Amino acid sequence: MFPGSFMMGAKDRLLPPSIPYRFFAAAAFFHLLAWVLLLVGNNGVLGFVGGQGMTLAALHLITLGTLAMTAMGAAIQLLPVATRRPLGPVWAIKLMFVLYAPGVALFAAGLAHSFTWAQHGGATLCVAGLALFGGLVGANLRKVDDLPGVTRHAWLAVASLIGLAVLGLALVVDFTKGFLPDHTSIAAAHAVLAGYGFMGMLSAGFSYVLIPMFVLGSAVPDAVGKRTAQLSGLGLVLGAGGVLIGIGTLSALGALLGLAATVVYLRGMLTSLKTRMKKRLEPFFRLVWVAWALLPVSLVAALLPALGAPLDPWAELWAFLLVFGWLLSFVMAILQRIMPFLASMHSSALGGKPALLSHLSPKLPVDIHLGCHTAALVLVSIALVGGWVWPLRLGLIAGLAGAVAFGVYTVEVLRRYRSHMAAAAANQQG
Amino acid sequence: MAGEVASAGINEAGGPPEWLSLALDAPPLDVRSLLAQGVDPFATVMEAASAIEFGGSLVIDAPFNPSPLRRILAGRGFSSYGRKLNEGHWRVFFHLDGGADWESGADVEVGPEGAMSWREEDGLHIDVRKLAPPNPMLAILRLVERAGPGETVVVHHEREPHFLAPELAERGWRIARVSSEVVNVRLWLERVI
Repeated sequence: MFPGSFMMGAKDRLLPPSIPYRFFAAAAFFHLLAWVLLLVGNNGVLGFVGGQGMTLAALHLITLGTLAMTAMGAAIQLLPVATRRPLGPVWAIKLMFVLYAPGVALFAAGLAHSFTWAQHGGATLCVAGLALFGGLVGANLRKVDDLPGVTRHAWLAVASLIGLAVLGLALVVDFTKGFLPDHTSIAAAHAVLAGYGFMGMLSAGFSYVLIPMFVLGSAVPDAVGKRTAQLSGLGLVLGAGGVLIGIGTLSALGALLGLAATVVYLRGMLTSLKTRMKKRLEPFFRLVWVAWALLPVSLVAALLPALGAPLDPWAELWAFLLVFGWLLSFVMAILQRIMPFLASMHSSALGGKPALLSHLSPKLPVDIHLGCHTAALVLVSIALVGGWVWPLRLGLIAGLAGAVAFGVYTVEVLRRYRSHMAAAAANQQG
Repeated sequence: MAGEVASAGINEAGGPPEWLSLALDAPPLDVRSLLAQGVDPFATVMEAASAIEFGGSLVIDAPFNPSPLRRILAGRGFSSYGRKLNEGHWRVFFHLDGGADWESGADVEVGPEGAMSWREEDGLHIDVRKLAPPNPMLAILRLVERAGPGETVVVHHEREPHFLAPELAERGWRIARVSSEVVNVRLWLERVI
């Protein structure tokens, strides 16, 4: 058997590359669109504590369009390989994208322009896509008992997904019906479940597999994963529950448990890093450092509104640090590394030499993205706290420039992969 | 049986362990037929091991060196001594003595991740089965980096390691050949010419 047939022989677990890449390309596109909307609607950013408009639309382009889209693309390819069990039929995964990607676009358009039909239609499509994703992941995990550190986080993510979807749909209907007693509290609970629950648990769970694998560090002991899952689960119940029933001290306790989970998680990650074979960390890891620094900062920021500080600006700062600081930095880091990695995995499918990771990853666009993303984080945070317009606009311009650079990176990785495959096909024919 | 083993040549440096004479009379548990039927014999072996009393012995016949099993039983107090009798036939002697010298007399090296490596005629072998990810990848790359020029590395894995190929490519290596058997996926790694 030759390398090509080796890769082709695992059809049950290795998807055709076009499937995960459609999720990744969509994530890069929605990332760019989100920054455009934030810049266009920058008048509504300062003092934002909810309500329809460009800011809420941009926020959902990041959360649904970039974060969840990347998580789906990565999970459909990595989960079956990690668990050694197929995720589900390819048609179901394709259907997931067909429902979800237009759903995100429609929902964002509905939020931006207050089109009720688009909000309802988009939200329904998004929930259908997410439900399919949750169902596929749940069915896969049900048969897994040898990766407790990963699976417990994935189960927490699935449970959070159910909670956030129910609350999210209620919030959308409330825009027109006005039946919720406290829209802001429900929105905050929805944010906790979406940010720390669904995306946070997926990020932490996948970290235990991906980070040691990318840096060639030792495996993180299952006990560490079990402990962070326990602390996080309890923190999520208290955090979201406290917000829902209006008891701030409960939410603060949830944030403190989240901080404890973060300490255990980061210590586990750092221990793996200390034993790594790769002495020089790759460029993507700079964004991981930013994300890891801002995860505990976001939890500290969460304490402020929970303990009675005014929502403007503290709730807004917390949401920004959670979504753009911790999650977006982490997800863009993984996206930056995983796109060329999967391309390299598939590159020997025709039997030729595999494409080198280093040849598939252009460095300049990710350097520009890192600089712009970091500048955006600093400038927008300062603007939110001080209520200053100019740092905000500069920060949004930096964020947009970074998104353009990341878009160039995405296109270039795909172009280099296709070029490699075309050369391999030509050699095979010759 | 002693003659059979001796004729297969278990006279390595330092000689066989002293306890081997006690183990030679134990009837071997042949798991080759189970593997040929596609059944993982792990549960059968563990059941047999649980019936052994301190000072007793267990003998396993397998189609390959069952390194993960040796590691796991070492954790339960078994010393082990294995030899290839002929192609597709290994006999491994286990002795329940606390497992203090379980590697004694064995021609294998155990890496920091717990992978066993040994040399055979067709190259440098490494067994990474039953290791938690990403330790198999680490152990393989560590061995690849110290392999001699023109040397082939033969990996014994329990699955096809998809994530290994990009890292091998970065180091100028490739997966040249793969064979899949029950609980033993073998990969032949070679330098890209």
